[in-house]
Amino acid sequence: MRVSEVRSLLRPPWPVLDVHVHPLNCFGPHRVEDAATDARLLAVAGKRSGVEKMCLFSLHSTCPRQPTMELCRESNDYALAMRDAAPDVFLPFCYVNPMYPEESVAEIERCVAAEEMCGIKLWVAVNASDPRLDPIMRCAASLGVPVLQHAWNNTLGSTPDESTPADVADLARRHPTVSIIMAHLNGAGLRGIGDVADCPNVFVDTSGGDPESGITEAAVASLGSTRVVYGSDAAIRHFGTQLAKVLGAGLPDAVKRDIVWNNAARLLPSWAGVRPMERRAT
Amino acid sequence: MIVDINCFAGHWPSRDLKGDLASVRDSLRRYGVGRLFTSPLDAAWHRNPHLANDAFCRAVEAYDDVSPVPVLDPTVATWDAELGRAAEHPDVRLVKLLPAYSPYRLSEADDLLSAAADAGLAAICQTRLEDRRRQHPLAQVPDVAIADVVAAAERHAGLVVIVGGARFAEARSLRDRLLDMPNLYVETSQMDGLDAVRALVDDGLAPKLLFGSHAPFFIPYAAVARVVTDIDDADASAILGENALRLLG
Repeated sequence: MRVSEVRSLLRPPWPVLDVHVHPLNCFGPHRVEDAATDARLLAVAGKRSGVEKMCLFSLHSTCPRQPTMELCRESNDYALAMRDAAPDVFLPFCYVNPMYPEESVAEIERCVAAEEMCGIKLWVAVNASDPRLDPIMRCAASLGVPVLQHAWNNTLGSTPDESTPADVADLARRHPTVSIIMAHLNGAGLRGIGDVADCPNVFVDTSGGDPESGITEAAVASLGSTRVVYGSDAAIRHFGTQLAKVLGAGLPDAVKRDIVWNNAARLLPSWAGVRPMERRAT
Repeated sequence: MIVDINCFAGHWPSRDLKGDLASVRDSLRRYGVGRLFTSPLDAAWHRNPHLANDAFCRAVEAYDDVSPVPVLDPTVATWDAELGRAAEHPDVRLVKLLPAYSPYRLSEADDLLSAAADAGLAAICQTRLEDRRRQHPLAQVPDVAIADVVAAAERHAGLVVIVGGARFAEARSLRDRLLDMPNLYVETSQMDGLDAVRALVDDGLAPKLLFGSHAPFFIPYAAVARVVTDIDDADASAILGENALRLLG
């Protein structure tokens, strides 16, 4: 089999929407000088794997675990500049730190209500079970945008305020009208899938970790085909190795199509301009 | 032809893997893999991994495109006899070491590695089988330090040594050693990150990279995608198979 034939085998039959992408100035082998270069390199790399749209969140070039709100604002400005450079590709999310609930809400209003960012990103500064997330979640509910919350079940132990899937389930039960994208299916693992199974407002993204066999099939079996969305965690991970978790899984084509596009398209606000392709898989 | 120099078949205690040899072979052939160098997965947790080799070699006989890669352990007293059987097997070109699962230090394998070189075999030293963050809490196995594999390759210049399971950053950190040492290679199955393989190729390492899938742990689509997506056909062909065929025939 020639290399070109192998590439053809890998090509996604549908456009792909990636819900979990970081700028190159946060991670990866590239050193970029500005947001426009970052946008160009990331978009081209995604295109090579068939990724057409990306939900983008900067964690700042210095990646602090507990950023000041000034650093969050710089991160969000960078993501907005990347959207300006490639508006057909990037759907930026607003990154905030719940250690500063009031300032976070103000930043969300600046970025989502005024600048039409498409969601909210929460990382590891505050555990998801902490009530300081509540104003942020109420803001998400009023604006109608999803919240993407990092989560991991780590055998080696979590960082001090890192959330587990059980913490995400707690958050979801407190705010049942907010769609929560729980990041890192591999990190959640088979036990983490179970933790959120009875929370219909939690969707799991496939991003991060190794391309382990069977994990996406397990998520679909437990959560149903509409609660799993494709994410890569690029640039830490490769778009294609993470896409393997969907396109290389033993799932019907209709389910794969929902995971790589339709399920995420249904979560995003109307101003994202992303529509489901066809009716959902049964 | 695509040659997978690092796949397994067998069982794993904490996960349901489709690990029977037929399923592993089918999953790889779907993406054009035409030759498999395959090790018995059951050896990892076997108190005497050599005992997993026999049945595995018999199972492999059913397939012309699968070569057995026996697991050898220098802390088992019969290692020299096991190595002798491997050397006599017509399809064995490569032996595998799983130092972290015995466990032993690679410095304890010097006699075994010398004997492997004398027998004309190559050795793949597996640095990890699972992401440590994802291991069962009662089955935590540390990674093997890349530096220990390089040191072993330095002590055995006449032996082809392949670093199995290296991550992208680890492989990149070996750039100068890989370019300096004709007997040192690295396989690709656990390299991730945007443009990872492309960055290594840009570093001049295309001749030192060997395609591996880490099936059935990992999905074969990923193994192929990381190689073919970002580099040209000539470099991809070298990594996917030509380099391995040159080394292992």
